[in-house]
Amino acid sequence: MMNFVWLLAVETAEAVEEGGGLFDLDATLPLMAVQFVLLAVLLNALFYKPLGKVLDERDGYVSSNQVDAAERLAKAEQIAQQYQQELAETRRQAQAVIAQAQEEAQQIASQTVAAAQQEAQAQREQVQRELDEQKSQAMATLEPQVEGLSRQILDKLLGSLAV
Amino acid sequence: MQMIHPLVLAKLEVGQHLYWQIGGLKLHGQVFLTSWFVIAVLLLVSFLATRNIQRVPSGLQNFMEYALEFIRDLAKNQIGEKEYRPWVPFVGTLFLFIFVSNWSGALVPWKLIHLPAGELAAPTNDINTTVALALLTSLAYFYAGFSKRGLGYFAKYIEPTPILLPINILEDFTKPLSLSFRLFGNILADELVVAVLVLLVPLFVPLPVMVLGLFTSAIQALIFATLAAAYIGEAIEGHGGEEHE
Repeated sequence: MMNFVWLLAVETAEAVEEGGGLFDLDATLPLMAVQFVLLAVLLNALFYKPLGKVLDERDGYVSSNQVDAAERLAKAEQIAQQYQQELAETRRQAQAVIAQAQEEAQQIASQTVAAAQQEAQAQREQVQRELDEQKSQAMATLEPQVEGLSRQILDKLLGSLAV
Repeated sequence: MQMIHPLVLAKLEVGQHLYWQIGGLKLHGQVFLTSWFVIAVLLLVSFLATRNIQRVPSGLQNFMEYALEFIRDLAKNQIGEKEYRPWVPFVGTLFLFIFVSNWSGALVPWKLIHLPAGELAAPTNDINTTVALALLTSLAYFYAGFSKRGLGYFAKYIEPTPILLPINILEDFTKPLSLSFRLFGNILADELVVAVLVLLVPLFVPLPVMVLGLFTSAIQALIFATLAAAYIGEAIEGHGGEEHE
């Protein structure tokens, strides 16, 4: 079998000599070149240009969309941050209002208590004063009676002695 | 060659061509037939993909956009962000044409169509095609260099020192030579290996080599396009690479 192949190879080599052959350069070469250039021109019009345009347009579209989206994302983040800030601010204000209200209420309560205590004190003092006054008045009225009575007692004692 | 053993399912034909005569010119008919098929496939797919362009791609449009982005990345990496755009059609067509050619040679059962002489195979199987592509690449990078840097482009021949002048000039010849022979050799060798294996063991055994062939075909297309873009980028940028960013 191997011999057969070698034989064939020899025979083809002979065929080469009788015209044709592997390195048979002829008018095929320039015509093929022309044909190739034509193919390049046709493919340029039919393939590279339209599809290249589509690729470029798509690149532009995608990148512009991306920029747009990034912008919108930044804006959304900014709004969210602002919202958070406002929320915190509002919360703080609410806290402050509550604290103030509590303070005021505390103050009012303590004021009221103080006022009430003061009034009670005043009333008590007044009552005390009245009481003292009445006591001294009573003492004052009792004083002559005591005097009389003691004189009478003295008189009686001395009188009996004197008799 | 005419006396093929009846048991042999495949035969080896190397260097036989279907000649067409146009005027005094000889053409390799089988190369043109398959290259027309490749061109038709490329144009048809491009047409179908761009027929109804949507912002959100689907199906064929999506696939071709993937291909275009691949080509753009390739050109961008080799030529640079600023200059790559005008070269996308050239580099891209190189890649697509070679890739579809190679894969059509590996996947389409051309051998079922009998020609009077020669046989249908990948267009890149013929030295004319690969030399044509390589020479176009040379023209492209000369054009790129001159249009970008004017006559200052010649300065690259004496960079970094004038001693290297002969080597730099030689480079302009070795570049198309290596480009064309690399592609031609790889594709031809792949088809020959598959043909020989099919000759020896007609069933299943050649399959792994065929899969490997698909892989190398794709790699060759990528290499050709990448090198072409690299040459163009080098011509634009200058030999010393003073504009590297």
